Amino acid sequence: MAIPISQMWTVSTYVLKQKLTGTKRFPLVLMLEPLFRCSLACAGCGKVQYPPHILKKQLTPEECFAAVDECGAPMVSIPGGEPLLHPQIVEIVNGLIARKKYIYLCTNALELKRRLPEFTPSKYLTFSVHLDGQREHHDFSVCREGGYDIAVEGIKEAVQRGFRVTTNATFFDGTDPNSVRAFFDEVMGMGVEGIILSPGYSYDKAPDQNHFMGRARVRRLFRAILSNRKPTWKFNMSPLFLEFLMGNRTYECIPWGMPTFNIFGWQKPCYLLQDGYVDSFKELLETTEWENYGVASGNPKCANCMVSCGYETPAIIDGFGSWKGFLAMVRGTFNKYPDTGALKLLDEAASHLPAALVQIEEPANSLEETHA
Amino acid sequence: MSAEVKKYTMEQVEALELAPGAEHEDLEGWIPELATEEELRQALEKAFDYRGDVTLTLRSGERIEAFIFNRRTGATLAESYVQYFTPKAPEKRKVSYAEIARLEFSGKDRAAGKHWEDWVKNYNEKKAAGEKNIGLKPDALE
Repeated sequence: MAIPISQMWTVSTYVLKQKLTGTKRFPLVLMLEPLFRCSLACAGCGKVQYPPHILKKQLTPEECFAAVDECGAPMVSIPGGEPLLHPQIVEIVNGLIARKKYIYLCTNALELKRRLPEFTPSKYLTFSVHLDGQREHHDFSVCREGGYDIAVEGIKEAVQRGFRVTTNATFFDGTDPNSVRAFFDEVMGMGVEGIILSPGYSYDKAPDQNHFMGRARVRRLFRAILSNRKPTWKFNMSPLFLEFLMGNRTYECIPWGMPTFNIFGWQKPCYLLQDGYVDSFKELLETTEWENYGVASGNPKCANCMVSCGYETPAIIDGFGSWKGFLAMVRGTFNKYPDTGALKLLDEAASHLPAALVQIEEPANSLEETHA
Repeated sequence: MSAEVKKYTMEQVEALELAPGAEHEDLEGWIPELATEEELRQALEKAFDYRGDVTLTLRSGERIEAFIFNRRTGATLAESYVQYFTPKAPEKRKVSYAEIARLEFSGKDRAAGKHWEDWVKNYNEKKAAGEKNIGLKPDALE
Protein backbone atom coordinates (compact mmCIF):
# COMPACT_ATOMS: atom_id res chain seq x y z
CA MET A 1 0.00 0.00 0.00
CA ALA A 2 1.55 3.30 -1.09
CA ILE A 3 -0.38 5.74 1.06
CA PRO A 4 0.53 5.84 4.78
CA ILE A 5 -2.11 4.70 7.26
CA SER A 6 -2.12 8.09 9.02
CA GLN A 7 -3.04 9.85 5.77
CA MET A 8 -5.73 7.31 4.97
CA TRP A 9 -7.11 7.68 8.48
CA THR A 10 -7.21 11.48 8.16
CA VAL A 11 -8.99 11.32 4.81
CA SER A 12 -11.43 8.57 5.82
CA THR A 13 -12.48 10.28 9.05
CA TYR A 14 -12.83 13.56 7.18
CA VAL A 15 -15.12 11.97 4.57
CA LEU A 16 -17.17 10.22 7.24
CA LYS A 17 -17.54 13.47 9.19
CA GLN A 18 -18.84 15.23 6.08
CA LYS A 19 -21.30 12.42 5.49
CA LEU A 20 -22.49 12.35 9.09
CA THR A 21 -22.99 16.10 9.16
CA GLY A 22 -24.86 15.95 5.86
CA THR A 23 -22.45 18.28 4.07
CA LYS A 24 -23.42 18.15 0.43
CA ARG A 25 -20.26 19.55 -1.10
CA PHE A 26 -16.83 19.41 0.52
CA PRO A 27 -13.24 19.66 -0.69
CA LEU A 28 -10.78 16.81 -0.44
CA VAL A 29 -7.69 18.35 -2.02
CA LEU A 30 -6.99 22.05 -2.41
CA MET A 31 -5.11 22.73 -5.63
CA LEU A 32 -2.95 25.64 -4.53
CA GLU A 33 -1.17 27.31 -7.43
CA PRO A 34 1.21 29.84 -5.89
CA LEU A 35 2.50 30.99 -9.29
CA PHE A 36 2.25 30.24 -13.01
CA ARG A 37 5.95 30.70 -13.76
CA CYS A 38 7.65 27.51 -14.94
CA SER A 39 11.06 26.36 -16.04
CA LEU A 40 9.62 24.08 -18.71
CA ALA A 41 7.41 24.68 -21.74
CA CYS A 42 5.63 21.33 -22.08
CA ALA A 43 3.57 20.63 -25.19
CA GLY A 44 0.51 19.37 -23.34
CA CYS A 45 0.35 22.11 -20.72
CA GLY A 46 -2.03 25.06 -20.98
CA LYS A 47 -1.20 26.55 -17.59
CA VAL A 48 1.72 28.83 -18.22
CA GLN A 49 0.88 30.94 -21.27
CA TYR A 50 0.61 34.40 -19.70
CA PRO A 51 2.24 37.82 -20.14
CA PRO A 52 5.44 38.34 -18.12
CA HIS A 53 3.80 40.57 -15.50
CA ILE A 54 1.37 37.76 -14.68
CA LEU A 55 4.14 35.16 -14.60
CA LYS A 56 6.03 37.33 -12.12
CA LYS A 57 3.11 37.38 -9.71
CA GLN A 58 2.92 34.91 -6.87
CA LEU A 59 0.78 34.24 -3.84
CA THR A 60 2.20 35.31 -0.51
CA PRO A 61 2.45 32.71 2.26
CA GLU A 62 -0.35 34.55 4.07
CA GLU A 63 -2.63 34.29 1.03
CA CYS A 64 -1.86 30.58 0.81
CA PHE A 65 -2.61 29.99 4.49
CA ALA A 66 -5.87 31.96 4.31
CA ALA A 67 -7.02 29.87 1.35
CA VAL A 68 -6.06 26.61 3.06
CA ASP A 69 -7.77 27.63 6.29
CA GLU A 70 -10.95 28.72 4.56
CA CYS A 71 -11.14 25.64 2.37
CA GLY A 72 -10.46 23.10 5.11
CA ALA A 73 -9.41 20.26 2.80
CA PRO A 74 -7.17 17.67 4.50
CA MET A 75 -4.80 17.52 1.53
CA VAL A 76 -3.12 20.30 -0.43
CA SER A 77 -1.59 19.82 -3.84
CA ILE A 78 0.85 22.54 -4.89
CA PRO A 79 1.16 22.57 -8.67
CA GLY A 80 1.79 25.63 -10.79
CA GLY A 81 3.90 26.69 -12.65
CA GLU A 82 6.88 25.30 -10.87
CA PRO A 83 6.47 25.74 -7.11
CA LEU A 84 10.21 25.51 -6.45
CA LEU A 85 10.64 28.80 -8.34
CA HIS A 86 8.64 30.52 -5.59
CA PRO A 87 11.14 32.20 -3.27
CA GLN A 88 8.93 31.56 -0.21
CA ILE A 89 7.91 28.00 -0.99
CA VAL A 90 9.68 26.64 2.09
CA GLU A 91 7.73 29.03 4.32
CA ILE A 92 4.50 28.01 2.58
CA VAL A 93 5.22 24.30 2.98
CA ASN A 94 6.23 24.67 6.63
CA GLY A 95 3.06 26.63 7.34
CA LEU A 96 0.96 23.88 5.83
CA ILE A 97 2.82 21.18 7.75
CA ALA A 98 2.11 23.14 10.93
CA ARG A 99 -1.56 22.95 9.95
CA LYS A 100 -1.21 19.16 9.54
CA LYS A 101 -2.14 19.22 5.89
CA TYR A 102 -0.92 16.41 3.66
CA ILE A 103 0.98 18.22 0.93
CA TYR A 104 1.84 17.06 -2.57
CA LEU A 105 4.39 19.50 -3.92
CA CYS A 106 4.27 18.90 -7.69
CA THR A 107 7.61 19.67 -9.28
CA ASN A 108 9.49 19.10 -12.51
CA ALA A 109 12.47 18.55 -10.19
CA LEU A 110 14.87 20.70 -12.19
CA GLU A 111 15.55 22.61 -8.94
CA LEU A 112 14.77 19.80 -6.51
CA LYS A 113 18.25 18.58 -5.67
CA ARG A 114 19.53 22.11 -5.09
CA ARG A 115 16.63 23.10 -2.83
CA LEU A 116 16.18 19.90 -0.85
CA PRO A 117 18.39 21.00 2.07
CA GLU A 118 15.89 23.79 2.76
CA PHE A 119 13.09 21.30 3.49
CA THR A 120 12.62 18.96 6.42
CA PRO A 121 11.26 15.45 5.87
CA SER A 122 7.75 15.02 7.24
CA LYS A 123 4.92 12.55 6.87
CA TYR A 124 2.89 15.53 5.69
CA LEU A 125 5.19 16.44 2.80
CA THR A 126 5.48 14.51 -0.48
CA PHE A 127 7.46 15.63 -3.48
CA SER A 128 5.40 14.59 -6.49
CA VAL A 129 7.87 14.61 -9.35
CA HIS A 130 6.64 15.11 -12.90
CA LEU A 131 7.94 12.20 -14.98
CA ASP A 132 5.96 11.31 -18.09
CA GLY A 133 7.68 8.03 -18.86
CA GLN A 134 11.04 6.60 -19.71
CA ARG A 135 13.91 8.96 -20.51
CA GLU A 136 13.21 9.56 -24.20
CA HIS A 137 9.47 9.75 -23.69
CA HIS A 138 9.68 12.16 -20.78
CA ASP A 139 12.21 14.43 -22.47
CA PHE A 140 10.08 14.69 -25.57
CA SER A 141 6.91 15.21 -23.57
CA VAL A 142 8.45 18.11 -21.64
CA CYS A 143 10.28 19.35 -24.75
CA ARG A 144 13.68 19.26 -23.11
CA GLU A 145 16.53 16.81 -23.48
CA GLY A 146 18.16 15.90 -20.19
CA GLY A 147 15.04 16.67 -18.13
CA TYR A 148 14.59 13.05 -17.13
CA ASP A 149 18.12 12.67 -15.80
CA ILE A 150 17.89 15.82 -13.71
CA ALA A 151 14.52 14.75 -12.29
CA VAL A 152 15.78 11.28 -11.44
CA GLU A 153 18.79 12.76 -9.69
CA GLY A 154 16.41 14.87 -7.60
CA ILE A 155 14.20 11.87 -6.84
CA LYS A 156 17.10 9.78 -5.65
CA GLU A 157 18.45 12.56 -3.47
CA ALA A 158 15.02 13.17 -1.95
CA VAL A 159 14.50 9.48 -1.24
CA GLN A 160 17.97 9.26 0.27
CA ARG A 161 17.21 12.21 2.56
CA GLY A 162 14.07 10.50 3.83
CA PHE A 163 11.39 12.47 2.01
CA ARG A 164 8.19 10.97 0.74
CA VAL A 165 8.40 10.94 -3.07
CA THR A 166 5.96 9.96 -5.79
CA THR A 167 6.19 10.31 -9.53
CA ASN A 168 3.42 12.01 -11.45
CA ALA A 169 2.81 11.13 -15.10
CA THR A 170 0.39 12.47 -17.69
CA PHE A 171 -0.29 10.38 -20.77
CA PHE A 172 -1.44 11.54 -24.19
CA ASP A 173 -2.41 9.82 -27.40
CA GLY A 174 0.48 7.79 -28.77
CA THR A 175 1.67 6.62 -25.37
CA ASP A 176 3.29 3.19 -25.58
CA PRO A 177 1.78 1.08 -22.77
CA ASN A 178 4.73 -1.31 -22.79
CA SER A 179 7.11 1.54 -22.19
CA VAL A 180 4.89 2.85 -19.40
CA ARG A 181 5.03 -0.52 -17.65
CA ALA A 182 8.81 -0.56 -17.98
CA PHE A 183 8.77 2.98 -16.59
CA PHE A 184 6.83 1.76 -13.54
CA ASP A 185 9.61 -0.77 -12.90
CA GLU A 186 12.22 1.97 -13.20
CA VAL A 187 10.60 4.40 -10.79
CA MET A 188 9.73 1.80 -8.19
CA GLY A 189 13.39 0.80 -8.35
CA MET A 190 14.28 4.36 -7.37
CA GLY A 191 12.55 3.86 -4.03
CA VAL A 192 9.56 6.12 -4.57
CA GLU A 193 6.51 5.63 -2.38
CA GLY A 194 4.14 5.28 -5.29
CA ILE A 195 3.08 6.36 -8.74
CA ILE A 196 0.49 8.97 -9.69
CA LEU A 197 -0.86 9.00 -13.22
CA SER A 198 -3.50 10.67 -15.30
CA PRO A 199 -4.70 10.99 -18.87
CA GLY A 200 -3.99 14.43 -20.32
CA TYR A 201 -6.67 17.08 -20.38
CA SER A 202 -7.41 18.96 -23.59
CA TYR A 203 -6.24 22.41 -22.47
CA ASP A 204 -7.31 24.79 -25.22
CA LYS A 205 -4.19 26.90 -24.63
CA ALA A 206 -1.76 23.98 -24.91
CA PRO A 207 0.62 24.00 -27.90
CA ASP A 208 -0.32 20.47 -28.90
CA GLN A 209 -3.99 20.21 -29.86
CA ASN A 210 -3.81 16.89 -31.70
CA HIS A 211 -3.06 14.27 -29.09
CA PHE A 212 -5.87 14.42 -26.58
CA MET A 213 -7.37 10.99 -26.04
CA GLY A 214 -11.10 10.47 -25.99
CA ARG A 215 -12.64 8.38 -23.25
CA ALA A 216 -12.73 5.11 -25.21
CA ARG A 217 -9.02 5.36 -25.97
CA VAL A 218 -8.18 6.36 -22.39
CA ARG A 219 -9.90 3.27 -21.05
CA ARG A 220 -8.10 1.02 -23.53
CA LEU A 221 -4.71 2.53 -22.74
CA PHE A 222 -5.15 2.29 -18.99
CA ARG A 223 -6.54 -1.23 -19.22
CA ALA A 224 -3.34 -2.20 -21.04
CA ILE A 225 -1.14 -0.36 -18.56
CA LEU A 226 -2.82 -1.23 -15.27
CA SER A 227 -3.97 -4.83 -15.78
CA ASN A 228 -1.62 -7.71 -14.95
CA ARG A 229 0.16 -5.57 -12.38
CA LYS A 230 3.52 -6.47 -10.98
CA PRO A 231 3.75 -6.90 -7.20
CA THR A 232 6.37 -4.17 -6.94
CA TRP A 233 4.12 -1.44 -8.36
CA LYS A 234 2.47 0.91 -5.88
CA PHE A 235 0.04 3.65 -6.76
CA ASN A 236 -0.50 6.73 -4.66
CA MET A 237 -4.09 7.03 -5.81
CA SER A 238 -7.48 5.59 -5.03
CA PRO A 239 -7.67 2.01 -6.41
CA LEU A 240 -11.23 2.77 -7.44
CA PHE A 241 -10.09 5.73 -9.53
CA LEU A 242 -7.63 3.42 -11.29
CA GLU A 243 -10.52 1.03 -11.96
CA PHE A 244 -12.41 4.00 -13.41
CA LEU A 245 -9.52 4.71 -15.78
CA MET A 246 -9.47 1.04 -16.80
CA GLY A 247 -13.17 1.17 -17.64
CA ASN A 248 -14.30 -1.02 -14.75
CA ARG A 249 -16.27 1.70 -13.01
CA THR A 250 -18.24 4.79 -13.90
CA TYR A 251 -18.18 8.01 -11.91
CA GLU A 252 -19.55 11.47 -12.43
CA CYS A 253 -17.20 14.42 -12.19
CA ILE A 254 -17.10 16.14 -8.79
CA PRO A 255 -15.30 19.40 -9.58
CA TRP A 256 -15.78 20.86 -6.09
CA GLY A 257 -13.74 17.99 -4.60
CA MET A 258 -10.45 19.53 -5.70
CA PRO A 259 -10.95 23.30 -5.84
CA THR A 260 -8.25 25.61 -7.18
CA PHE A 261 -6.87 28.82 -5.70
CA ASN A 262 -4.30 30.98 -7.49
CA ILE A 263 -3.29 34.60 -8.05
CA PHE A 264 -6.65 35.31 -9.71
CA GLY A 265 -8.75 33.90 -6.85
CA TRP A 266 -10.91 30.78 -6.53
CA GLN A 267 -11.21 29.28 -9.99
CA LYS A 268 -14.58 28.23 -11.42
CA PRO A 269 -15.31 25.36 -11.80
CA CYS A 270 -12.14 23.28 -11.46
CA TYR A 271 -8.39 23.02 -11.83
CA LEU A 272 -8.58 22.53 -15.60
CA LEU A 273 -11.27 24.93 -16.76
CA GLN A 274 -11.15 28.70 -16.26
CA ASP A 275 -14.70 29.93 -16.30
CA GLY A 276 -14.15 32.83 -13.95
CA TYR A 277 -12.99 33.61 -10.43
CA VAL A 278 -14.52 34.46 -7.08
CA ASP A 279 -13.05 35.85 -3.90
CA SER A 280 -13.94 33.14 -1.40
CA PHE A 281 -14.32 29.39 -1.26
CA LYS A 282 -17.84 29.85 0.10
CA GLU A 283 -18.73 31.93 -2.93
CA LEU A 284 -17.20 29.29 -5.20
CA LEU A 285 -19.39 26.58 -3.70
CA GLU A 286 -22.52 28.72 -3.70
CA THR A 287 -22.33 30.51 -7.03
CA THR A 288 -20.82 27.98 -9.43
CA GLU A 289 -23.41 26.37 -11.68
CA TRP A 290 -22.03 22.88 -11.10
CA GLU A 291 -24.65 21.26 -13.31
CA ASN A 292 -22.96 22.88 -16.33
CA TYR A 293 -19.81 20.80 -15.91
CA GLY A 294 -18.79 17.17 -16.09
CA VAL A 295 -19.38 14.66 -18.83
CA ALA A 296 -23.07 14.28 -17.98
CA SER A 297 -23.62 17.99 -18.62
CA GLY A 298 -22.73 17.60 -22.30
CA ASN A 299 -20.29 20.48 -21.95
CA PRO A 300 -17.79 19.92 -24.79
CA LYS A 301 -14.95 21.21 -22.60
CA CYS A 302 -15.58 18.28 -20.28
CA ALA A 303 -16.09 15.68 -23.00
CA ASN A 304 -12.74 13.90 -22.85
CA CYS A 305 -11.96 14.52 -19.21
CA MET A 306 -11.12 11.58 -16.98
CA VAL A 307 -8.62 13.52 -14.91
CA SER A 308 -8.14 12.90 -11.21
CA CYS A 309 -9.15 16.43 -10.18
CA GLY A 310 -12.70 15.62 -11.24
CA TYR A 311 -12.92 11.87 -10.90
CA GLU A 312 -10.75 10.83 -7.97
CA THR A 313 -13.03 12.57 -5.46
CA PRO A 314 -16.03 10.33 -6.24
CA ALA A 315 -13.72 7.32 -6.07
CA ILE A 316 -12.45 8.38 -2.63
CA ILE A 317 -15.94 9.13 -1.37
CA ASP A 318 -17.06 5.77 -2.73
CA GLY A 319 -14.17 4.03 -0.98
CA PHE A 320 -14.63 5.64 2.40
CA GLY A 321 -18.36 6.27 2.25
CA SER A 322 -19.74 2.74 2.53
CA TRP A 323 -18.66 -0.76 3.54
CA LYS A 324 -19.21 -1.94 -0.03
CA GLY A 325 -16.95 0.79 -1.35
CA PHE A 326 -14.39 0.18 1.36
CA LEU A 327 -14.18 -3.52 0.57
CA ALA A 328 -13.85 -2.74 -3.14
CA MET A 329 -11.00 -0.37 -2.31
CA VAL A 330 -9.22 -3.00 -0.20
CA ARG A 331 -9.68 -5.59 -2.95
CA GLY A 332 -8.38 -3.09 -5.50
CA THR A 333 -5.30 -2.41 -3.41
CA PHE A 334 -4.18 -6.03 -3.60
CA ASN A 335 -5.73 -7.07 -6.93
CA LYS A 336 -3.27 -7.62 -9.79
CA TYR A 337 -6.12 -7.41 -12.33
CA PRO A 338 -5.21 -10.43 -14.47
CA ASP A 339 -6.60 -9.82 -17.96
CA THR A 340 -5.63 -11.73 -21.11
CA GLY A 341 -7.36 -9.12 -23.26
CA ALA A 342 -5.06 -6.48 -21.82
CA LEU A 343 -2.03 -8.62 -22.71
CA LYS A 344 -3.27 -8.65 -26.30
CA LEU A 345 -3.48 -4.87 -26.22
CA LEU A 346 0.15 -4.77 -25.11
CA ASP A 347 1.17 -7.11 -27.92
CA GLU A 348 -0.71 -4.97 -30.44
CA ALA A 349 0.98 -1.83 -29.14
CA ALA A 350 4.39 -3.49 -29.36
CA SER A 351 3.80 -4.31 -33.01
CA HIS A 352 3.09 -0.67 -33.91
CA LEU A 353 5.59 2.12 -34.02
CA PRO A 354 4.86 4.59 -31.23
CA ALA A 355 3.35 7.88 -32.31
CA ALA A 356 5.35 11.06 -32.39
CA LEU A 357 4.24 12.82 -29.21
CA VAL A 358 6.20 10.78 -26.73
CA GLN A 359 8.90 9.42 -28.96
CA ILE A 360 12.22 10.91 -29.88
CA GLU A 361 13.77 7.76 -31.14
CA GLU A 362 13.08 4.10 -30.62
CA PRO A 363 14.25 3.32 -27.10
CA ALA A 364 16.21 0.09 -26.89
CA ASN A 365 14.17 -1.24 -24.00
CA SER A 366 10.70 -0.34 -25.16
CA LEU A 367 9.83 -3.90 -26.10
CA GLU A 368 11.11 -5.59 -23.02
CA GLU A 369 7.68 -6.07 -21.46
CA THR A 370 7.53 -9.52 -19.95
CA HIS A 371 3.83 -9.68 -19.15
CA ALA A 372 4.89 -10.94 -15.74
CA MET B 1 -18.90 30.56 -21.33
CA SER B 2 -20.63 29.22 -18.25
CA ALA B 3 -23.67 28.08 -20.21
CA GLU B 4 -22.04 25.84 -22.79
CA VAL B 5 -24.17 24.66 -25.65
CA LYS B 6 -24.66 20.93 -25.26
CA LYS B 7 -22.73 19.22 -27.98
CA TYR B 8 -22.29 15.61 -26.93
CA THR B 9 -24.53 12.85 -25.73
CA MET B 10 -23.15 10.44 -23.14
CA GLU B 11 -22.94 7.70 -25.79
CA GLN B 12 -20.89 9.93 -28.05
CA VAL B 13 -18.59 10.93 -25.22
CA GLU B 14 -17.97 7.39 -24.07
CA ALA B 15 -17.14 6.28 -27.63
CA LEU B 16 -14.77 9.18 -28.31
CA GLU B 17 -11.37 7.98 -29.55
CA LEU B 18 -9.69 11.33 -30.03
CA ALA B 19 -10.84 14.53 -28.39
CA PRO B 20 -10.90 17.43 -30.83
CA GLY B 21 -8.42 20.16 -29.98
CA ALA B 22 -9.33 23.81 -29.84
CA GLU B 23 -9.18 26.06 -32.89
CA HIS B 24 -6.96 28.95 -31.95
CA GLU B 25 -8.57 32.29 -32.73
CA ASP B 26 -6.12 34.90 -33.99
CA LEU B 27 -7.08 37.94 -31.93
CA GLU B 28 -3.76 39.75 -31.56
CA GLY B 29 -4.11 43.30 -32.88
CA TRP B 30 -7.90 43.08 -33.22
CA ILE B 31 -9.97 46.16 -32.41
CA PRO B 32 -13.62 45.13 -32.21
CA GLU B 33 -16.37 47.51 -33.29
CA LEU B 34 -18.34 47.61 -30.03
CA ALA B 35 -21.24 49.23 -31.86
CA THR B 36 -23.85 47.37 -29.87
CA GLU B 37 -24.17 46.03 -26.32
CA GLU B 38 -23.98 42.49 -27.65
CA GLU B 39 -20.76 43.23 -29.53
CA LEU B 40 -19.23 44.68 -26.37
CA ARG B 41 -20.24 41.65 -24.33
CA GLN B 42 -18.87 39.22 -26.91
CA ALA B 43 -15.61 41.12 -27.30
CA LEU B 44 -15.05 41.21 -23.53
CA GLU B 45 -15.76 37.49 -23.36
CA LYS B 46 -12.96 36.99 -25.88
CA ALA B 47 -10.73 39.35 -23.92
CA PHE B 48 -11.35 37.24 -20.81
CA ASP B 49 -10.19 34.16 -22.71
CA TYR B 50 -7.23 35.94 -24.31
CA ARG B 51 -3.75 35.09 -22.98
CA GLY B 52 -2.27 38.51 -23.62
CA ASP B 53 -2.74 42.08 -22.47
CA VAL B 54 -5.43 44.30 -23.92
CA THR B 55 -5.81 48.07 -23.90
CA LEU B 56 -9.06 49.46 -22.55
CA THR B 57 -10.08 53.02 -23.29
CA LEU B 58 -12.69 54.24 -20.85
CA ARG B 59 -15.43 56.75 -21.57
CA SER B 60 -13.46 59.15 -19.38
CA GLY B 61 -10.60 58.94 -21.86
CA GLU B 62 -8.33 56.96 -19.54
CA ARG B 63 -6.33 54.20 -21.23
CA ILE B 64 -5.53 51.04 -19.29
CA GLU B 65 -3.18 48.27 -20.33
CA ALA B 66 -4.61 45.20 -18.65
CA PHE B 67 -4.62 41.45 -18.42
CA ILE B 68 -8.28 40.56 -18.02
CA PHE B 69 -8.59 37.44 -15.87
CA ASN B 70 -12.24 37.54 -14.93
CA ARG B 71 -15.62 38.86 -15.95
CA ARG B 72 -18.97 38.85 -14.27
CA THR B 73 -21.99 39.52 -16.36
CA GLY B 74 -25.21 41.03 -15.12
CA ALA B 75 -28.46 42.13 -16.68
CA THR B 76 -27.11 45.52 -17.65
CA LEU B 77 -23.70 46.79 -18.73
CA ALA B 78 -23.44 48.75 -15.50
CA GLU B 79 -23.92 45.56 -13.52
CA SER B 80 -21.27 43.70 -15.54
CA TYR B 81 -17.56 44.12 -15.02
CA VAL B 82 -14.14 42.77 -15.88
CA GLN B 83 -11.33 42.21 -13.38
CA TYR B 84 -7.75 42.77 -14.43
CA PHE B 85 -4.13 43.20 -13.48
CA THR B 86 -1.99 45.93 -14.99
CA PRO B 87 1.74 45.45 -15.56
CA LYS B 88 2.56 48.09 -12.95
CA ALA B 89 -0.01 47.72 -10.19
CA PRO B 90 0.10 44.76 -7.82
CA GLU B 91 -3.59 44.70 -6.91
CA LYS B 92 -6.65 43.39 -8.73
CA ARG B 93 -8.80 46.07 -10.31
CA LYS B 94 -12.20 46.10 -11.95
CA VAL B 95 -14.14 48.24 -14.35
CA SER B 96 -17.75 48.09 -15.42
CA TYR B 97 -18.68 47.19 -18.98
CA ALA B 98 -20.58 50.48 -19.17
CA GLU B 99 -17.37 52.48 -18.75
CA ILE B 100 -15.53 50.80 -21.62
CA ALA B 101 -15.49 52.74 -24.90
CA ARG B 102 -12.76 50.92 -26.81
CA LEU B 103 -10.97 47.59 -26.61
CA GLU B 104 -7.78 46.63 -28.37
CA PHE B 105 -6.09 43.24 -28.25
CA SER B 106 -2.77 45.04 -28.06
CA GLY B 107 -0.50 42.58 -26.25
CA LYS B 108 1.16 39.49 -27.60
CA ASP B 109 -1.01 36.40 -27.47
CA ARG B 110 1.07 34.11 -25.27
CA ALA B 111 -0.86 31.02 -26.31
CA ALA B 112 -0.26 31.56 -30.02
CA GLY B 113 2.52 30.43 -32.30
CA LYS B 114 3.82 27.56 -30.24
CA HIS B 115 2.67 24.63 -32.28
CA TRP B 116 3.71 21.15 -31.38
CA GLU B 117 4.48 20.37 -34.98
CA ASP B 118 6.98 23.26 -35.06
CA TRP B 119 8.75 21.85 -32.02
CA VAL B 120 8.97 18.39 -33.57
CA LYS B 121 10.36 19.85 -36.83
CA ASN B 122 12.77 22.05 -34.93
CA TYR B 123 13.86 19.14 -32.78
CA ASN B 124 14.50 16.85 -35.73
CA GLU B 125 16.52 19.52 -37.53
CA LYS B 126 18.69 20.19 -34.48
CA LYS B 127 19.10 16.51 -33.79
CA ALA B 128 20.18 15.91 -37.39
CA ALA B 129 22.70 18.73 -37.01
CA GLY B 130 24.19 16.92 -34.03
CA GLU B 131 23.04 19.38 -31.36
CA LYS B 132 22.72 18.24 -27.76
CA ASN B 133 20.45 19.39 -24.93
CA ILE B 134 17.73 20.46 -27.31
CA GLY B 135 14.73 22.00 -25.65
CA LEU B 136 11.95 24.54 -25.62
CA LYS B 137 12.45 27.30 -23.11
CA PRO B 138 9.67 29.24 -21.42
CA ASP B 139 9.17 32.84 -22.54
CA ALA B 140 11.57 35.30 -20.97
CA LEU B 141 10.09 37.44 -18.21
CA GLU B 142 11.43 40.53 -20.04
